[in-house]
Amino acid sequence: MSRVATLFWNPIVAKEYRSRMRTWKSPLAMMVYILLIGGIGFLVFSLLTYSNSSGVIGGSNYGQILFSVLVGFQVILLTFVTPALTAGAISSERERQTLDLLFVTRIAPFSIIWGKLLASMSFVFLLLILSVPIFSLVFLFGGIELDQVAYAFLVTLVTALTFGALGIAFSTWLRRSLVATVVSYVAAFVLIVGTLAFGLFFPTDIDPNAKKAPAPPAITYLSPVIPLMWIAGDGQLLQSYGVRYPNSAFLNGVSGPGTICQTTVGGGTTCSSSGPIGPIVSTNAFVQIAQPGGAIPSGLFEGWQYWQATIVMQLAICLCALLAGAFLLPPVRRLPWRRRRTGAEPIPEVSS
Amino acid sequence: MITAENLTKVYGKRTALDHVSFEVPEGEIFGFVGPNGAGKTTTLRILAALLEPSGGHASIGGVDVAKQPDLVHSRLGYMPDFFGVYDQLTVAEYLDFYAACYRQPKQRRTKVVAELLELIGLTERRDQLVDTLSRGLKQRLCLARALVHDPVVLLLDEPASGLDPRARVDMREILKELRRMGKTIIISSHILPELTELCTMIGIIDHGRMRATGSVQEVVKQLSAGRRLRIAVVGDREAAVEVLKTLAAVRDIDNANGAIEATYEGDESTAAEILQALTAGGIKVSGFSQVDGGLEEAFMRATSDEVG
Repeated sequence: MSRVATLFWNPIVAKEYRSRMRTWKSPLAMMVYILLIGGIGFLVFSLLTYSNSSGVIGGSNYGQILFSVLVGFQVILLTFVTPALTAGAISSERERQTLDLLFVTRIAPFSIIWGKLLASMSFVFLLLILSVPIFSLVFLFGGIELDQVAYAFLVTLVTALTFGALGIAFSTWLRRSLVATVVSYVAAFVLIVGTLAFGLFFPTDIDPNAKKAPAPPAITYLSPVIPLMWIAGDGQLLQSYGVRYPNSAFLNGVSGPGTICQTTVGGGTTCSSSGPIGPIVSTNAFVQIAQPGGAIPSGLFEGWQYWQATIVMQLAICLCALLAGAFLLPPVRRLPWRRRRTGAEPIPEVSS
Repeated sequence: MITAENLTKVYGKRTALDHVSFEVPEGEIFGFVGPNGAGKTTTLRILAALLEPSGGHASIGGVDVAKQPDLVHSRLGYMPDFFGVYDQLTVAEYLDFYAACYRQPKQRRTKVVAELLELIGLTERRDQLVDTLSRGLKQRLCLARALVHDPVVLLLDEPASGLDPRARVDMREILKELRRMGKTIIISSHILPELTELCTMIGIIDHGRMRATGSVQEVVKQLSAGRRLRIAVVGDREAAVEVLKTLAAVRDIDNANGAIEATYEGDESTAAEILQALTAGGIKVSGFSQVDGGLEEAFMRATSDEVG
């Protein structure tokens, strides 16, 4: 077999496919997944149709609303599904006492971890493919291009991959399936919501003299919410997220209305978008905040699309998790700086 | 072929293995006997490179287990004291999976799986799910799993535990077949009779220490503190006891089921001297025989010292 084929097909993958697809759980999971995504799609579709007749929402952004809801819901569903698939991958082998049997074969620890991840992610990929027909509803309305769907699926898949890799690492480290599953869900929550909260609590301070518009702290790009909102065309909602204005007042260059900022007791600054139009205190880079598209205006990933930054950061986490898992997995870890005692040396005295 | 040299394993304050050494030449079947918790599984796990010893060395075919585990794994078949089966896999798929893990090519796997199923008598059940097999059949399948890469050395941890007599006989026949194939085998067990017939060598371990190793006769000799005679006399038994008490070689004298049992130190000629002394003392001896405690008694004596 070629190297590429070996990468995607090792005995673990083949065995996992067999045993996973032979149970009734897999088709059931697929059915529930489709029903949930389809149900949400139908609900939004119905609401839009209803609001159209009552004239609440303009028709031009129907597609965009439906797309945003579906993409967001899909990420939430996969956040629940992926750790459930992977957090038991290694620990269940341990509980079933089959792990030792793998260690005495010639299969490498990384291959075990990789095989488990690949098998689980194939199922996630299958779920994503199953949801494509539902996403195609969006094109009935227009307003969403094919590349937006592709990027959104890519971000969703990489997010699921990261959750999967974290699940496997925790499964290796924590040994018990239940504990590993709980910790994996916590980690997924931290990655999605925690990083967003980080942007709220520790935003980037704006330098009034800077030539470039401010961007939220890089860690917030870990959350798939930001790139997905930009992809779906909702990026405008994120204009003032993750940045903090040290001035008492400023002008938000493009969107028009002024914002009043007040220093809070804790030293932070809160801004409100309502209120009187403030004086123009600066004509510098603030105007760039509201530029269309998802390009990051400044910072570590300057000039990148948000989804690109998210994918790169998540893949880095994914790689770290896989390496950590492969390191923790073997029963005998051979570290180059550890010396083994020989039999001739005395062993510590022990009390009987 | 298999060498353990001063293997020591310390868990916190507990010493599981205390300088265990033994050697198993090629083609031998080494019975590793000891009560539960004596250190058998720990030793086998170290030999299989699944556990790092706190001290000492182990090698298989001249290869240091700790330094080149991958090479050792290619030569070694390990059967632990649990089944380790997957659900939703058939018998043939199960063996094929492990053969693939040993990097056997596809064509060879098909052939090997068929041969192994033939060996363990499961050919007709090749498409049955592993989970649904009986305990004895699972045990056989696990033995077959340890053979998928045709290893030269087999480490079998309690291969017959929990089996009914019929399944135990079947297992023994398979092991005999493996012996004929020239494999070097270590079998651990806490039940001695399982091993006496099968093994060419024996090692008795207790509380992490090797009590005796060697051929079965050697081990009995090493462990026997004294030999035992059973003497039946016609007439006055007390007179016979008096004669025995005068002999220096005789240690303990008991009455047992209408006969006298006496422990003595010495060999066959000492026994002959005792008989001579009895007849010379006018005792009518109607029966005079060695009480052969054998390995079982030697084992009990070796392992009972510190139990409790």
